[in-house]
Amino acid sequence: MAGYYSPLTSTRTLLLKIPPVEPGTVGPCPVAPDALQGIKRQQTNPARWNGAGWQDFVAALRTSSVELAEGAAACGVYATDAGGTAYGLPHGVVLARSAGQISLLLKAAQAHRVPVTVRGGGLTTEGESVAFGGVLLDMSGMSRVLNVDAQALTVRAEAGIYWHALAEELRRENLDYLSAPLNLTSSVGGTLGVGGIDVNSARLGCSADQALSLQVVTPTGEIVECSDGENPELFQRVILGYGQFGIITEATLRVRPYTPLAMHYYYYSSLRTAIEDLQMLDRNDASDYSGILTIMDCAVNLLVAFDSDEREAAFRKNWESRLRGYGEFGFALCMAGHYALRPWKFREALYLLQRKREVFPEFRRPEYMREGKMHDRSVVFSRAVWKHWGSRQMVIPDLATSADKFIEAVERGNAVCRKYFVHYTLYCVGIKLRPDHQPHYEMSCVPPDAEGWAYGCEFEPMIEGGIYSRDHFQSFKNAIYDVGVDMGASYYRFGGMMKGYIRRVFGDALVDRHLAMKRRADPAMILNRDVIF
Amino acid sequence: MPATLARAPAAPRDYAACSGCNLCVLVCPMWRSHRDPRFTPEGLAKALQHGATAAQLAAPVEACSLCGACDPVCPEGIDLPGLVMDLRQKLANSLSPRSSPLLDDLCASLQQGVASGVASRSAPLLLPGPDLRADAALLARVQALLGLAIADDDGDDIALALELGVEIPQHRLQQFLASLRGHSIVAADGLLLRQLRRWLPGSQRMGLGAALSSRPAVRSNLLATDLYVIEARAYHGDYERMVAYYDRLQLETGCALNLDLQRIAIPAGAQGLSQKLGATPGDGDAQAKWILKGRRPARIVVESMADRAAFERVCDLPVVHLAELGEDPEMIKRRPHAFG
Repeated sequence: MAGYYSPLTSTRTLLLKIPPVEPGTVGPCPVAPDALQGIKRQQTNPARWNGAGWQDFVAALRTSSVELAEGAAACGVYATDAGGTAYGLPHGVVLARSAGQISLLLKAAQAHRVPVTVRGGGLTTEGESVAFGGVLLDMSGMSRVLNVDAQALTVRAEAGIYWHALAEELRRENLDYLSAPLNLTSSVGGTLGVGGIDVNSARLGCSADQALSLQVVTPTGEIVECSDGENPELFQRVILGYGQFGIITEATLRVRPYTPLAMHYYYYSSLRTAIEDLQMLDRNDASDYSGILTIMDCAVNLLVAFDSDEREAAFRKNWESRLRGYGEFGFALCMAGHYALRPWKFREALYLLQRKREVFPEFRRPEYMREGKMHDRSVVFSRAVWKHWGSRQMVIPDLATSADKFIEAVERGNAVCRKYFVHYTLYCVGIKLRPDHQPHYEMSCVPPDAEGWAYGCEFEPMIEGGIYSRDHFQSFKNAIYDVGVDMGASYYRFGGMMKGYIRRVFGDALVDRHLAMKRRADPAMILNRDVIF
Repeated sequence: MPATLARAPAAPRDYAACSGCNLCVLVCPMWRSHRDPRFTPEGLAKALQHGATAAQLAAPVEACSLCGACDPVCPEGIDLPGLVMDLRQKLANSLSPRSSPLLDDLCASLQQGVASGVASRSAPLLLPGPDLRADAALLARVQALLGLAIADDDGDDIALALELGVEIPQHRLQQFLASLRGHSIVAADGLLLRQLRRWLPGSQRMGLGAALSSRPAVRSNLLATDLYVIEARAYHGDYERMVAYYDRLQLETGCALNLDLQRIAIPAGAQGLSQKLGATPGDGDAQAKWILKGRRPARIVVESMADRAAFERVCDLPVVHLAELGEDPEMIKRRPHAFG
């Protein structure tokens, strides 16, 4: 590590020694073992690609009849992602239309060493789908359902399709996907590349586990079908591969008959008790859906739901009495007593009441309720998420741990939230692991020591119109991720601006092995190059 | 009838507030036919945030059907149909004047205005629009069902000007609004209805579909095997009330609705500006086909004449206008196949 003397500030400043990078080549690994030493906690956007050879590349694309759009009207829509803290513009945009077109694009990009950033729904939060120069490939142009097999309960779709658009098509056959993130606009391809967590993941696993086979365009432009039985190594690397080893263009997914949900809500004043109960339900397969959403440290909601009356009846008979949470009315009484004895905390009580008044009706809108059951849960949840948690900046650091480390991780993360923000929400959910998919989980959000279930917790500050610097957000995220390093956890969002943690969490040997695989698969290192490596 | 006293709308926000959540994309008919983010409300807002001009956005601005589906789903409360209408007006002002018989007639009408008689101050008025006017028998049936007088000045030219982005002269607008003040209004044109909400806050107004379907003579003839097609613009323009109204209708009658999973009405017959002016061909009634995908209704019941035309083009199911339901022998004689 070199130091230099600044005549302007008369202070000795430590800088990372970065050798000059030849245009169009890959620079030194920014996640090298000592990459974090001396770096202050601050924004870590990658540098914009310098554009060397762009015009030759554009000419090559035109020769191949691949349409590329440039200019503000075309590129502006991609300036940031859902996180809203990483900003960058591509030199040009290609709207995905076919695997063949993407193959031509990647071949030209390899030849001209032009970075290609792939974007599905743009629901990343750390700039992973933001192009800092080069080409942005928008997969949403490939978003059709190709075939629904109602007998085999499978669907084949283009990978740029949003989960919600897939649900719309499946519903016409009275079918539904198994699990998907609780927002409407994640894309299938993007989700399979990172995991995908739902409130039924404790039973059905992550969304990536429902993929049966994929069509992938490799970084060098080959179009390959892969599954557990066909090209399994590519399948293992692409699933949960953060877009490093190929672009998913089509996916065959398992689906299931559609069912409305019977919802139950339990309220806790202790986070620890709620998590213990959540894990008890998961261990005993006592519910079809389970998850925790906090309103405040002392107001924790455990959501439990069922696809069938039989499962609900079994829960009522065998497990409900073991839950230590209250119903809504009982909890309201508890809170009334709590704040009556602590009148100086009246602001807290007011906030609680306000959230209850604003948020609860969203989950009970009559047009989504029939005979006491909730229809179209993804719409209900997602609308509520965007309306009451969404904003132009979505800062959602997370921790993913084994079951036995989870309570400690959540409590430590919660303490970090308390330090940085007035109000925040925690979202906790379990993920059933498939032993046969262990190779998929390598260097992913699934922590290596997890067995049976992994658990994830998102820590989401309520921005509420407040103005925070990007450094404040980054510092908050780092403080959460430091907990993960300390505990040997993993993260859902370890790419993009958080990639500095990859070596610290996964270790050099594993990262170097994946880097070597990446270099073999993507010689010019053009595909999603700022995401992980 | 559903309650008609609407709240004054909250002040809408402009494109700068777009956070790129994509929710408008999911419901946008333009997106469905183009699969290109530039042809979405979000694409327009984001492009404007990055300095694009109205002229650069001409293609999506003209392709938009102003169905308003994007309006209720926007979590930022941006007036997205208003954004498109503004851009259309900017386009119309910045480009060399387009010449078409439609535009020429419209400009003449806007300048001339409409002479209106003196209706009694509180009498409810019907603004039937040109499509319904063209079918005298159906118009008479609507009047009989609703018991409304037809407004002398039904604002056809103003509705068209809104759609085309043609500036409405102040004197003409004031003349039109003056003729409506103090009256309850039932309007067939959803876009005009949406604007009346702004122009006449506190007034009592509703869409033709909601007015008709609230009549027992009509409602009692809706069947569980019907596909009921809501007119998208009126529905989205007053979404919070209408979603509750049609939810009750669906519960009571058991009919299927042209709603997606977000309870947004899929527009069947709405066309973009460029299609309306004949500049580009339509997308082959893709929306009507999408509504019917996986559904096998015995009959299609529509609120708007444009939707009726769209379904008649894409299927051989009986398609009836809402006003044709009921025990009216004339209507049954007109469309016997729709009434068994």
